[in-house]
Amino acid sequence: MELNFTKDCISFEKELNQLDQFVIDFTTILNALDIKYVIISGYVAILFGRNRASEDIDLFIEKIDFSKFQTLWNVLEKQFDCIITNTVDEAYHQYLKEDFALRFARKGEVIPNMEIKFCKDPLDFLSLQEKKQVVLNKHSLFISPLELQVSFKLFLGTQKDIEDARYLFALFKDHLNQSLLHSFSRKLKIEEELKRYLP
Amino acid sequence: MKLPDIDLEELKKSKEKNFKERLEFIDFYANWVKKTPNKVWSKQQKTIIDK
Repeated sequence: MELNFTKDCISFEKELNQLDQFVIDFTTILNALDIKYVIISGYVAILFGRNRASEDIDLFIEKIDFSKFQTLWNVLEKQFDCIITNTVDEAYHQYLKEDFALRFARKGEVIPNMEIKFCKDPLDFLSLQEKKQVVLNKHSLFISPLELQVSFKLFLGTQKDIEDARYLFALFKDHLNQSLLHSFSRKLKIEEELKRYLP
Repeated sequence: MKLPDIDLEELKKSKEKNFKERLEFIDFYANWVKKTPNKVWSKQQKTIIDK
């Protein structure tokens, strides 16, 4: 695996699969509108080679006002459908503002879909603030810090999540900030899981 | 249909063993990805994901 690592950025090239292309198309719009976001889901493991499918990609965006959301909605509508609601008012006021997720899929499709939420708790804000840039085939996108990604996957604790954590840990062991990883694990009270699953 | 007797303890052990084997495979796969050119692993990944 050829990865170019710097403190704030990982860049690499790969043969894009449909999920990668979906993420690139969606995040191109967020980048163009200068909306801060961070991808936090199992897609992070898939991006770096984990061999499994996923029906959705989880993404937090910064809190934006209705006017900016309307702009985002209008641009997204050219390529994507919101599969939860088809009105921009409801999408903003009854979903995003109430901490419910919106899901966007390519027109006429349901999966894969991008599940977007506003940041709401301290870990969400930390993910956004400390996001890591990935340059994938010259496209820029942002993921949560790998130490938090690994810890949170262990916290979620399903078999699939533990496998994702194990994969990311095995792949990036030499690049992870071990002290930060242990701090997250203490905060999330997953020290036992860390010992058991990430030897 | 007559259902067989099921030893739940045995089944639980088998489930744990299977999970342990999966984690070992993930280590193996991650090490393989690390040693393999992006073009090769991502082509194989694309075959699975785009199926």
